[in-house]
Amino acid sequence: MFYIWGMWPRDLCCSFLCHNFHPNLTILARANSQLLKLGFRSLRQSVMCDLFALSAATNYSAPKSLPIFAAKAGKNLDGWGIGFFRKNRAYVEKSALWAYHEGRFHDSFQRLARVVSSKFIVAHVRLRSSGPIDECHAHPFVLRFRGQDWIFAHNGKAPAIESYRGDRFRLDDAVSDSARAFEYLLDGIAARYERNNDVISLFSTVADTSRQLIEKYPGHYNYLLTNGCVLFAFSNHRQLLLLKGSKQLERGLLLTTLEQGLSGENWTRFARKNDSAGVLMAILGSDILLKEDI
Amino acid sequence: MSGWGIGFFRDNQALIEKSSEKVYDGEQVHESFQRLARVVDSRIIVSHISCPLSGGLHTAHNHPFSLSFLDHVWLFVHIGLIEGIADYETSNEPGIDVGVYPARVFEYLRDQLISYLRYTPYGSLGRSLVKSIRNLLSEYPGNYAFVLANESVLFAFCNFRQFMLLRESESVGNSLVLTSIKQGLSDKEWMSISPEPNTLGKLLVVAGPDVLYLGDVAQGSLL
Repeated sequence: MFYIWGMWPRDLCCSFLCHNFHPNLTILARANSQLLKLGFRSLRQSVMCDLFALSAATNYSAPKSLPIFAAKAGKNLDGWGIGFFRKNRAYVEKSALWAYHEGRFHDSFQRLARVVSSKFIVAHVRLRSSGPIDECHAHPFVLRFRGQDWIFAHNGKAPAIESYRGDRFRLDDAVSDSARAFEYLLDGIAARYERNNDVISLFSTVADTSRQLIEKYPGHYNYLLTNGCVLFAFSNHRQLLLLKGSKQLERGLLLTTLEQGLSGENWTRFARKNDSAGVLMAILGSDILLKEDI
Repeated sequence: MSGWGIGFFRDNQALIEKSSEKVYDGEQVHESFQRLARVVDSRIIVSHISCPLSGGLHTAHNHPFSLSFLDHVWLFVHIGLIEGIADYETSNEPGIDVGVYPARVFEYLRDQLISYLRYTPYGSLGRSLVKSIRNLLSEYPGNYAFVLANESVLFAFCNFRQFMLLRESESVGNSLVLTSIKQGLSDKEWMSISPEPNTLGKLLVVAGPDVLYLGDVAQGSLL
């Protein structure tokens, strides 16, 4: 099955693989050898969009963990993106091509992994479930709000929100559920700030808006949202895996949606509890500052 | 007024400039204070002006104080009177080698945070601080208004007086200014943060120009 990858129409192939997962991919032997050094027994790949973040107290690069992330999320052939901050402004480099395929990394992805340096790095590899396959629909997205650039990347299917039309924020060229979810979150946060003359808590505002998002537009939402000062990480399906102070990868705090993490180290799993709508964390540097089951 | 201090961060290290001289005398702001105010460039800046009650007779007595723990360098400033805490003996190294009780408050909070987070590195820093404050108030009741900050985040707690808050817009620096001075620092619309009755006090968490969290520390609350 795996040797005819690329011979089938991409959507059909991805759909098939979703139901026929195999843990050992011989075509990925090169990345496997790299991962074996890190304690993995095989390159078990995800079959859904995936998220990655690095948060550190000082500017940091992710030359080890980003390529491993791309390799382990290697079935996501519909694009990739890396978002980061420089002097309080957001920058996003993205592509509609694969980040990793048949043992090779996308040249730009690999170079950016070495070069990008930021307190927050957010990356996404895409397996299309909404919107066309093009660079515009690759994540992360960026919008400006309250004098700050906000970076957003999403994982999960949420077709219900595709009909949403925001009144404050527009990603005009993007027609995916992820773009609408980003607009909804910033619309909701902005509305709460406009309604309140008193001091309000950004964390509570993001939590309330996320809760409202899920109530109004049910779906699967794992998202990363950052303004360069704090990283919000939310999950209501699958999981987020976190690792602090890695000895094999970069230090700081590493986060991914990939089930086994990015190294053979002791990754900690955060997932929605049965009685909650999701889990929200505010991350600064290598610390989980606030965490709430919403 | 009997001294002043300014603390800030550069390359994740805390730098502190302080003096036992008056910050304002003869209608003149202390020259060094004024120059530092113009020059200091940091994501977080913490300043304190001492009154004789809290020490300040020697430069070392003045705030901010600094300690390294939990992979950060922290700055601490405090106002308020607390009895009994001067005898507190820290269980961690290093101690702050000055005999003023705000240093003991800082050591107490450090010890508590380490005890909560040393073996649970994925625990919430905010929640751990709330538990630490609750223990502090239980063991050493008194008037507290303090700021505790590392290079990325600032915690402010008060159980008396108030904090005044101003968020400056993008055109004037996109910053958040916080002071314990009742009138604020300008004629702009400062917002008052005061402890609510029947609570242990008010906690603010500031990240960048935003209040990330604002809430009452209640007996038994979990943040």
